[in-house]
Amino acid sequence: MPTVLVSSLPYLLQGAVNTLWMSAVCVTLGTVVGVVIGILSVLAPAVIRWMITAYVFVFRGTPVLVLMFLAYFALPAFGLMINVFVAVGGALVLYTGSFVAEITRGAILSIPRGQVDAAKSLGMRWGLILRQIILPQALKMSLPPLLNNSVIMIKATSYASIVGVWELTYAAREIVERSLAAFQIFLGVMAIYFLICYPLSVLARRLEKRAAFIH
Amino acid sequence: MEVMLYRYFDIRFILRSLPQFLLGLELTVEISVVAMAMALIWGLVLAGPRMSGRRWLSAPVMTYIEVMRNTPLLLQIYLVYFGLPLIGLGLSPFASGAVAIAAQHGAFLAEVYRGGIESVSVRQWEAARALGMDRWRALRLVVLPQALLKVVPPVGNHLVILVKDSSLVSAIGIMDLTLTGKAIIERSGASYEVFVTIALFYLALTSLLSAVLRFVERRYRGTL
Repeated sequence: MPTVLVSSLPYLLQGAVNTLWMSAVCVTLGTVVGVVIGILSVLAPAVIRWMITAYVFVFRGTPVLVLMFLAYFALPAFGLMINVFVAVGGALVLYTGSFVAEITRGAILSIPRGQVDAAKSLGMRWGLILRQIILPQALKMSLPPLLNNSVIMIKATSYASIVGVWELTYAAREIVERSLAAFQIFLGVMAIYFLICYPLSVLARRLEKRAAFIH
Repeated sequence: MEVMLYRYFDIRFILRSLPQFLLGLELTVEISVVAMAMALIWGLVLAGPRMSGRRWLSAPVMTYIEVMRNTPLLLQIYLVYFGLPLIGLGLSPFASGAVAIAAQHGAFLAEVYRGGIESVSVRQWEAARALGMDRWRALRLVVLPQALLKVVPPVGNHLVILVKDSSLVSAIGIMDLTLTGKAIIERSGASYEVFVTIALFYLALTSLLSAVLRFVERRYRGTL
């Protein structure tokens, strides 16, 4: 009987609440930032597009844990005294954003050029074309990868425990250090993460199948 | 100008610490290469039963793949490193890290392999069989070469992710690039320069790997 797991469940669930909060905030902000950057990476003038390319290259090529450490050590050095939560959250948002930007960009570019030309020849302005033609289709197409990306980011919030953010994984380590019941605690915590992530994965797959059916 | 530069980015300190950085880099490369080899093979081992069409073989593998995909790698590393000794299977930190990374990425790669094989039209298979090839020859000469071409880019993507994920083994005390950075900061009181340098090292590693993979893909496409 996994007695330690049962008795420490309330503590772990408290950690899970933190994980959920952090995930919700970081995934939402990261997705918004990424979608805006993704749109800009198609439409903006060359200088801004260059900067976006550099941003995506740097943030996609670096481990998120290193970005978290960087934010944690760099911001105080510039005189910004903020807590760990904000530093690590900021790193996660920018990391998420770089992936979302690529997803959005791919979805927009996959829409046939002819549709834009047709809309232009009908006299539609850019804003209208974007709102009425490009974005609705691009959104539908990018929903499955965005959901998969959210799962990746929820899992990545656990890395914040290494930098010192108190959430589910940190709570698990505390309990294991006290009780030495590594097997049941870590398995139990994996089960909690699974319960959070699996429904999103299933939803992503369903939407993917439906999209494949339509095309 | 020079003073300004040192004030905002102490490059002399980074250069002095270079030998330490390189030791960390070496460990990151070592564990990545070992975990890559294990993951590539483990993915193949899983893909067989996954595609066998027999439920009692594919169901456990599918469950395993789902668990690996929907739980954080960090916890899998903890489970292997802190959990396995409790049932008498103690591994060194290096082996624990490599096994955990391979366990997760093998699951992802199995799905990639499956996608590649299923993307080859079933008519190719039927044609090969109709020409009198046995199942093994049809698979080896017709299906796999085409599947391999489809699989190279996504496998490459996963290997790049694997290199980045190797930074998590710093959590169980392996002196890789990431932990080296933390150790240098704790010892010297230096600050963000260290992690900017570390980020650049990782960026160089992942870019190099991507470039090599692109080269391999182009070469292979030429031979087919």
